[in-house]
Amino acid sequence: MSLAAFVLAAASGFVPPVDFEREIAPIFAARCLDCHGPSKQRSGYRLDVASIARTGGELSAPNIIAGDAAASFLIRYVTGADPDMQMPPRGEPLTEGEIALLRRWIDEGASWPESASARVADPLDWWSLKPIVRATPPAKSPNAIDAFIAQRLARDGLPMSDEADARTLCRRVTFDLTGLPPPPEELESFVADTHPAKYERLVDRLLASPRYGERWARHWLDVVHYADTHGYDKDKPRPHAWPYRDYVIRALNDDKPFARFLEEQIAGDALFPATRDGVEALGFLAAGPWDLIGHEEVGEDKIDGKIARHFDRDDMVGNALGTFASVTVQCAQCHDHKFDPVPQRDYYALQAVFAAVDRADKRFDADADIASKRASLTAEIARIQAERAAIEQRTAHACGPDLAAIERELHAAERADTPAEFGFHSEIAAERQGTKWVQVDLGEPRAIASVVLAPCSDGFNGIGDGFGFPRRFRIEMSDDPAFERGVQLVRESTDASLGSPKSAPIAFDAHGGNARYIRVTATELAERKDDYIFALAELQALDASGRNLAAGAAVTSLDSIEMADRWRRTNLTDGIYPGAKHAAARTAELRLAREQLRARLESATDTARRSELDEALPRATSALAALPPQQLVYAATIHTGSGAFVGTGAQGGKPREIRLLARGQVTQPGELVEPAALSLLGPILPADLGLAPDAPESARRAALARWLSDARNPLVWRSIVNRVWHYHFGRGIVDTPNDFGRMGGTPSHPELLDWLAATFRDDMRGSLKSLHRLIVTSAAYRQRSDATNPAAAAIDRGNALLWRANARKLEAEAIRDSVLAASGSLDLSMGGPGFHDFVVEQPEHSPHYRYDRADPDDAATFRRSVYRFIVRSQMQPFMTALDCADPSMRVDRRNQSLSANQALAYLNSGFMLAQSARFAARVERDAGQDPRAQIERAMRLALGRGPDDVERASLERFTQRHGLANTCRVILNLNEFSFVD
Amino acid sequence: MSHGSPFHRTAATRPLSRREFLWQSGGGLGGIALASMLSRDASALLDTVSPPPLAVAPKAKRVVQLFMSGAASHLDLFDFKPDLVKYDGKPSDFGEKVETFQDGLGPWLRPVWNFKPHGACGKMLGETVEELGAHVDDIAFIHNMTSRSGVHSIATMLATTGYQLPGFPGAGCWVSYGLGSLNENLPTFVVLPDHRGMPSNGVKNWDSAFLPNEHSGTVIYPGTANPIDNLHPHAAGRFISESSERDARALLAELNRRHEAPRDDDARLDARIKSYELAARMQLSAPEVLDTAGEPEHVLRLYGLDRNPATWDANINDAEESYVFAQKCLTARRLLERGVRFVQVWSGNDNSHPRRNWDSHEDIRRDHGPLSRGMARGAAALIADLKQRGMLEDTLVLWTTEFGRMPSSQGGKGRDHNPFVFTNWMCGGGVRGGVTYGESDRWGYKPLDRKNPTTMYDIHATMLHLLGLDHTKLTWRQNGADRRLTDVHGHVISPILA
Repeated sequence: MSLAAFVLAAASGFVPPVDFEREIAPIFAARCLDCHGPSKQRSGYRLDVASIARTGGELSAPNIIAGDAAASFLIRYVTGADPDMQMPPRGEPLTEGEIALLRRWIDEGASWPESASARVADPLDWWSLKPIVRATPPAKSPNAIDAFIAQRLARDGLPMSDEADARTLCRRVTFDLTGLPPPPEELESFVADTHPAKYERLVDRLLASPRYGERWARHWLDVVHYADTHGYDKDKPRPHAWPYRDYVIRALNDDKPFARFLEEQIAGDALFPATRDGVEALGFLAAGPWDLIGHEEVGEDKIDGKIARHFDRDDMVGNALGTFASVTVQCAQCHDHKFDPVPQRDYYALQAVFAAVDRADKRFDADADIASKRASLTAEIARIQAERAAIEQRTAHACGPDLAAIERELHAAERADTPAEFGFHSEIAAERQGTKWVQVDLGEPRAIASVVLAPCSDGFNGIGDGFGFPRRFRIEMSDDPAFERGVQLVRESTDASLGSPKSAPIAFDAHGGNARYIRVTATELAERKDDYIFALAELQALDASGRNLAAGAAVTSLDSIEMADRWRRTNLTDGIYPGAKHAAARTAELRLAREQLRARLESATDTARRSELDEALPRATSALAALPPQQLVYAATIHTGSGAFVGTGAQGGKPREIRLLARGQVTQPGELVEPAALSLLGPILPADLGLAPDAPESARRAALARWLSDARNPLVWRSIVNRVWHYHFGRGIVDTPNDFGRMGGTPSHPELLDWLAATFRDDMRGSLKSLHRLIVTSAAYRQRSDATNPAAAAIDRGNALLWRANARKLEAEAIRDSVLAASGSLDLSMGGPGFHDFVVEQPEHSPHYRYDRADPDDAATFRRSVYRFIVRSQMQPFMTALDCADPSMRVDRRNQSLSANQALAYLNSGFMLAQSARFAARVERDAGQDPRAQIERAMRLALGRGPDDVERASLERFTQRHGLANTCRVILNLNEFSFVD
Repeated sequence: MSHGSPFHRTAATRPLSRREFLWQSGGGLGGIALASMLSRDASALLDTVSPPPLAVAPKAKRVVQLFMSGAASHLDLFDFKPDLVKYDGKPSDFGEKVETFQDGLGPWLRPVWNFKPHGACGKMLGETVEELGAHVDDIAFIHNMTSRSGVHSIATMLATTGYQLPGFPGAGCWVSYGLGSLNENLPTFVVLPDHRGMPSNGVKNWDSAFLPNEHSGTVIYPGTANPIDNLHPHAAGRFISESSERDARALLAELNRRHEAPRDDDARLDARIKSYELAARMQLSAPEVLDTAGEPEHVLRLYGLDRNPATWDANINDAEESYVFAQKCLTARRLLERGVRFVQVWSGNDNSHPRRNWDSHEDIRRDHGPLSRGMARGAAALIADLKQRGMLEDTLVLWTTEFGRMPSSQGGKGRDHNPFVFTNWMCGGGVRGGVTYGESDRWGYKPLDRKNPTTMYDIHATMLHLLGLDHTKLTWRQNGADRRLTDVHGHVISPILA
């Protein structure tokens, strides 16, 4: 603007508004976008996208408040008004002219024309976020999969390879579907079978076998990071985690529709109430690691306690969205996701979905009949109690304060024999010579005839009566709560034996002295266990008539351990103490008095009804007690606890408040966030879950479950078919099954992926067995793995296009189970608690899981590997050497390593050697003493084929020299045993 | 640099084909490479996951980390606070609300031991660690360390893996991945745990998580009957003899070669055959490394290992703590000397009662006394030994603990957790000696400059820098992010570089 124009504008009172494109954008471009632009978004802030510039940022959002430059942090930062934050951090500060322009632009409303940010790519424009489009298979083919695969190969001029021979196919598909080798007899009869549909029949038989669920449950448990211990510090066991593992096996064997499988795992309790599966499936949300110390030793009021609970929800959110939708939401906890359209707010909205639950043992009835009986009895009891309470209330109203007084005294008398409320208990001191005091406030100065002290009784360390009663103490009275002025001494006691072992109350004459406060000061503490305390059950101040002036009086003290209900200050004046005089007789008197009072004042109808109810209640409670015991599953649940780990149960399961945390720091809470799903599907499937403000917490999870299983959710249906494909071929159509975002892979066969997703969702109605059947009967799956095709190898050595089958290295579980199968040791009993292949030492504190101390010949460990008790902090060495899944991570693909420590595990571990010996004994049983027959049998059991002449000669020679056990060890170590063609 | 270690990547005899490369790399690499291959744009993406070339000239070739588990007190060992002596027993006052793990906010508690100046730099050390006095001119102390957590497991994981959640590789795994092996027959990353137990999180402190398995820390228990798992046949293998073993290896190789012949484009088969050969080599070399008996008398004396008492007192005691820690230090030196990249030595993981760990809630003198004397003896001997062999200049000694302890007392004689400030120190390997970097405040409660504390990310960044690696470039793609040892944080602490 020229000077003349400016003068003119000023003179006319009109200043043209700042032009963003021409005046502001260049400032941002020159001075800001290096750190807050397309390549970097420091503090999650960028000045090239209007919406983020206005509302984004982790430290002080919003940084631009349209119409108020003075309040806008952007201005504070560029002017240096904030001593901690000068922007730009390097180089010259902005000129005064530039700052003035920015101020004026904001004050004028910070207008940012659409066209200015049109340059930024649409973050929702990404393959996995678009609706599933069901393509027509490109050619007629008995199996549509082959049409897609062949078409893609043809683009590079490549053919598929020939079908593998019957023996190879049988081994491949049997391992694939059941994780075990085919028994030699079944293999031979399959090879000999001439029926044209023999392969399809084999597939059906395998899918019907319970071994199928065990095999594929293990894949699922990898993804959901299941284990039988918590992990972190102490790594305590979860003895009731296994029902979830069994649920997965059962669901797969029953071919439960996938949508239901999904919904049960997130909100089974809400969507399928009173079903066993609906509860056990919730083990999914609790499957991951849990910080016991951060929950049980640190309360939610402390920073470390908040962090523990933040990460607890984080793990649930990650498991739910990562497993089912292949979205890496956890990247958005400190800032908006850097690559995918997941704003930080979406992440916290998901945390809000899980804000009420904790991980704990959840009680339930596996039997639906019993569950419904329990529900109706519980409801009946509640109804009786409510009706009775209403009558009591009416009567109490009619009886007035007299009844209340009786009730109060009765309550104390009834509990005097075995009180739960022990008394007051000081903090623990290391030295005997300490001073601790406790005092009561009578509300106003009163004339006190005597002070009575009742000692406690506590069996701790075998102490019993007189627990905590000080060896030396004094009793004083004063009107000064600080006991600095006007102190009257009642008693200075130096009799160390006074409190113990008697537990009867001890009276001290106060001579009718007048005072408002009574203080007891311990000057030599009582021994507890290598430490020292001061405890008292009751303090009474009796007036001349014997009435206790201190009943219910306020109590203060130097310190107190305050562990409700047992130890707390208020217990000192609650009338409850060991051996309260004539408790039983007094109880009877009081009950009689209560009945008489009621009889006088209660209405006749109420009296009649009350006696009916009093008969009905014990009937119902004993019927409830007679039901078989409930089952437990470690799951997400509303927890009602004590100490630091209280949960939300006491608040009726009211969800915790979830706030957006700047930089993911619990110390920097921002605005409240309401529960919602992800916004990344845009209009295809809105994030809003349509929850009423007062919806119960389970409605949040139910809504999220329905959002995920919705037929319109393209992520979920693609994710599951891709996972299944991955396990069948060794590689997914998208090779990052947990990540369908911009940091993950893109589909090698996008049309096939969508066709499979749509077919699985619509035609197969989520039947995984139908999907398996379709895949393993395809020609693509049945190709040879050892085919050679130089042209194909030149273009696609990685075989992404599937011009042949992939030879597979068996996973740790398949190896271990195959060893057991070969040796004849395999125990196929299903379900129940996991077997221990370790010895636990020092279980009371931090259990040491000692695999080296276990007996490898313990038959209890010969079950399938899916039933192994999985320890997080001390992973099983043999399985780990063979690349089993790490239960601290959500594993979508196993690593495949080949290392010397793996070779040593195969060669020398107790498991392999004990099984080699058993394998040899079995072969001897089966084949007798002839070495030739022995070798034939051993090879067939382990490899599904007989030896050729060269192998036979070598193995026979070796067997004659070193015995059959050594031969069996060699066979189990062969490459052929661990690889399937 | 060789990748031929039996615990490391097994090298094929010929260059890996793309297919083999994809298979062997497992984890994240396969998918990325596949995706890029299909889009015919491989180079850019592949670069982000390959170990980067050395970013700077390395000063150190190897690292030995001494980890004091349970939170060692900076106040009683390394970070002298005269005001605590002056105000000992007076009610503590932090001038703000303080949250601690067990609310241990009793009166100020003076350092349990007296401090004296050492070396030309005059560094003040507590008397139980005065054996380190001879080396303070080679040590850089960092007194303004701060952690994100006051819970042992979380803070320990931060110190070992850089993350608060389990499931991330240990620092030694990253070093193994970034630099590979220096030797043929030993693992790249060795862990010597406290023989009495595991630290919290167990193997999660050193396993490879999403990195390939060969980068995992290999656990060795020197001086025990079975120092390395599966090195020799388990007792169940009674049928094995020396001659059967020899013949078994030959037979395995023969049968495996026959099986491989028609499948020779699958490099995994060859790699597995080789892994057995390497295992055999390691069976020969490992016992030699662990046998410290052959060390000359003056070396054994240096470590205090010249006398091996048959039994120890039942209570925690100086002699036992010195012996067990020094034995690990000497083993560490032998491993480093033979080319192991990263050795992690743990001190104090007995969580039973009475405790033998650094978590002195009840009594600093009782627990920290023997543990710190033992640690100082072993660490001082290790530094002296590395120096006399000319190895200290390219070996980084890193002393860490998960957090510190409070200047206020807990129950009279103990101290509660202090995640707000604590001490780490480094020595050798390109570190400037005789310096103190960062200060804690007058009580040793928080960093003096609260806005600029040092974090474990900075320690890790500095360690990688000394090894020649740029911590921002050593990455592995996993679940939507390029993971780093330093997450998205970390600055190299330039003032302590030589």
